[in-house]
Amino acid sequence: MTHPLYGTTAIAGVGLRQYKRGAAPLPERSVLVEAVLAACADAGFDPAEIDGFVSYGDDHNEPVRLMPELGIRELRWSSAVWGGGGGGIAGAFGVAASAILTGQATAVVIFRALVEGSSGRLSAAVMAHHLTDHLLAAGVVSPAQVCAIRATRLFDHHGVPRDIVEDLVRASYYHGNRNPEAVSFGQDFDIESLRRSRMIAEPFRLFDCSRENDGAGALLMVAADRARDLAKPPVYLLGCAQGAEAGWGDLLENDAADLYATAGFRPVAKRLYADTGLTPADIDVVQLYENFDAQGVMSLIDHGFCSHESAADVIRFDNLIADGGKLPVNTSGGNLAQGFIHGIGLPIEAVRQLRGESANPVAGARTCLLAGGPGSPTVSSAIFANRFD
Amino acid sequence: MTRSSGADAPYWQGLADGKLLFPRCTGCDRWMWPAGHRCGSCGAVGVTWTERAMTAAIFSWTRTWHRFALTESLDLPFTSIVAEVDDCGIRLLGRLDDPDRIDPVIGEPLTGRIGTTVIRTGVGTDPIPTIIWSRLA
Ligand SMILES: [Zn+2]
Repeated sequence: MTHPLYGTTAIAGVGLRQYKRGAAPLPERSVLVEAVLAACADAGFDPAEIDGFVSYGDDHNEPVRLMPELGIRELRWSSAVWGGGGGGIAGAFGVAASAILTGQATAVVIFRALVEGSSGRLSAAVMAHHLTDHLLAAGVVSPAQVCAIRATRLFDHHGVPRDIVEDLVRASYYHGNRNPEAVSFGQDFDIESLRRSRMIAEPFRLFDCSRENDGAGALLMVAADRARDLAKPPVYLLGCAQGAEAGWGDLLENDAADLYATAGFRPVAKRLYADTGLTPADIDVVQLYENFDAQGVMSLIDHGFCSHESAADVIRFDNLIADGGKLPVNTSGGNLAQGFIHGIGLPIEAVRQLRGESANPVAGARTCLLAGGPGSPTVSSAIFANRFD
Repeated sequence: MTRSSGADAPYWQGLADGKLLFPRCTGCDRWMWPAGHRCGSCGAVGVTWTERAMTAAIFSWTRTWHRFALTESLDLPFTSIVAEVDDCGIRLLGRLDDPDRIDPVIGEPLTGRIGTTVIRTGVGTDPIPTIIWSRLA
């Protein structure tokens, strides 16, 4: 039986506003309003008809406060996915679709806004979820250090070669170089700049880490049949899964030994593929949340694109780029090279890629996987498509 | 929540008294960490706080070079580890004596002593008791 989420809702419009960290020209809510208006303009949709919102990662903008500026007549749905990191980003689409499919809302905006002057540093906000005296006493106070400890285990215990992260970083900058909206647009990236960047927490140097931007992103979701009447071709949600399995979570580093150096996606990916009837071989493009490059590698492994043993064969620059790669990843540049507004640029690129609007188009792409923030206690993933059987 | 009010309060009190104490399920003897009050395996409520020796093995590690807020009392670089404590399998976050910056090896045996990490915030200083681990010579 076809899963109820399969192709029944669609993204009709996307809007993105991105600035250098600390350089947004407007307060956070105003930047968000602009992104929502852009998504509606993209779809040819009257913003007054929005009746729902979903976010993730502790966004500070309670949707009801957006109503006056957007001219919304009646709000029927506002919710968020739990967790302080980017783990919930893909799950937000499942929540929005659930609201639409159960008749509780008809036009739902999935959004994330982050302007440092309004919300402070993202890393500090994420960490506030997890900081305990156990972490403080060990000097472990940042997502970078938490993820570095897991990365060490991936490399030293599971034997994944350290240098494959460089291929992921190079592919990200290759795409960013060609994307006019990316922070790295027009910049030739030399891998030596990663190798020489300052050490943050071993094994991570600065360029192994995604660096925050100011901005906001918004995606308008409606029922699939309604999307077909709007301005742009629909990008359908085929499936979405969120959660965690026993032995994973906020466990003071006591995750099950075989899960410790994963990104937490094994049960989510398994359910997502089962619900959609798809396999990793059916995925044409991946938008991969990489807070840190090693966590991106773990996420690709969790989603079945490779194993510890085959990682070095699959995670190769030539294989990851839009021009001829079999596993094109982060075709906008991703969090590393396009810009990092808590990951919201990734689903927007998924939509653009499936419409043929990407700066790095993948020829004939039908499906795109969105993998949420790796290593979060609650993680989520989703699959989008521009057509389906 | 403070160190004296959480489910792991006896752990912190133990360190203050010079002992490493962990909670163990009264129903099935399973070690329960993070500390809680109910065992999800057998359903029993209640734990017995049980002492373990301060010996462990390296499970993973990072050496920090960037000055993150709240680490001001630690000289850079400093090495943080996950230590798997012997005879219970519980993993603890801790600090490693690493004066010569020798990369730790997973599985390496460790011995611990109780020290403190001082956290300085806008409202004062908080010395948190913690185990400082050393590699066996
Ligand atoms: Zn029990």
